[in-house]
Amino acid sequence: MAFQMYMVAFNGEFSQAMSRDVQHHIRNLNGVTLMVMKTGIIGAFDDSVAPFVQAHPSVKMVGGVTLNPRGFAADRLQRIFAENLAKQIEVKPQ
Amino acid sequence: MPNVGAELASVPFGKMIYDMASAIARSQVALDKASIQLVKVLANTTFDYVPDVVETLLPNPRQVRGANGAPLADADGNPVMITGVQVQTDVGDSFPLTLLQAGVNPTFYAFTNSSIEVKMSITSTQESSNTFSVGVSVTASADFLFCSGSVSSHVNFSSANKYSYSVTGSSSMSTVLNPVPPPKNMMPRFFLVNAIDPKKITVSQS
Repeated sequence: MAFQMYMVAFNGEFSQAMSRDVQHHIRNLNGVTLMVMKTGIIGAFDDSVAPFVQAHPSVKMVGGVTLNPRGFAADRLQRIFAENLAKQIEVKPQ
Repeated sequence: MPNVGAELASVPFGKMIYDMASAIARSQVALDKASIQLVKVLANTTFDYVPDVVETLLPNPRQVRGANGAPLADADGNPVMITGVQVQTDVGDSFPLTLLQAGVNPTFYAFTNSSIEVKMSITSTQESSNTFSVGVSVTASADFLFCSGSVSSHVNFSSANKYSYSVTGSSSMSTVLNPVPPPKNMMPRFFLVNAIDPKKITVSQS
C-alpha cells in the first residue's frame, strides 16, 4: 500500500488537547504530522491505516490530498511539511 | 450425459457484470461525494500567510577597539573603521489563506481495469455392471419298478448403475482504483485581481 498525504478534519471545537490526541493517534499508526491547523491536520500515513485514523472520535473526516506545485503558497507549504517531517523521522544507523 | 455448453450458458454473466458495474458506480459516487466534501473542508481551513519578509542590509560603520577596549587609531591618529552591517527586517502583514488557495488539492479517485473471472469444473462419472448366472441341476433316482427324476434351473441377473455428476464453480472480481486529477467542474476558479492595475485579472484553476 502507498504512503500518502491526507487531510484529517477535526470533529467539533478545536482544543490543544484534542489536536495532540489526534496527532498521537496518527503517530501510533506509523504516520507523521505535516501541518496543524485549527480545523484539522495535514498528515501522511499508509492507505491501510486511513480507516483507523477515521475511527478516532475527534476526527470528522479523512481525505487524500495532493500538493499542487502551481498553488499560491505551494513552495512555502512544501518547506513547512519538510521541516515538520524532519522532526519526526528517526534516522537509524545501518 | 452432461451438457457443458448448457452449464456454461447458465452462468449469469449479464447479471454479474451488471452487479459489478452497479457496485462500481455506487462506489464512484460515494468517493466523489467524499472528495467534494473535502474541497469544502480545504476551502474553509485557513492559516495565516505571511506574504513577504523584507530584509534590508544597512551600513553600520564603527571603530575597531583594541585589547583594552579603547578605540584604535592609525599612526596618523585617524580612527580604524570597519564597514559593519545591520539587518533591518520588515515582516509583511499576514492574511488568512485557505489550503485550497495555497495549493492543497483533494485527491479524486477513478476505477479502472475491472475484470470478472469465472472458473467452472464439471465432473461426470458413470459405472454400470451386470452379472448373469445360469444353473441347472438334474437329479434322478431309480428303484424297482419306479424311477423318478427332477430338473431344476435358476437364472440370476443383477444390474448396478452408478451415476455421479458434479459442477463446481468460483468467480472472482477485481478492480483497480487510481488517483486522478481533480475534475475541472468540481474545483473552484481563482480570480486574482490586481488592485494596483485592476485591468489585470488572472484566472486560474487547479
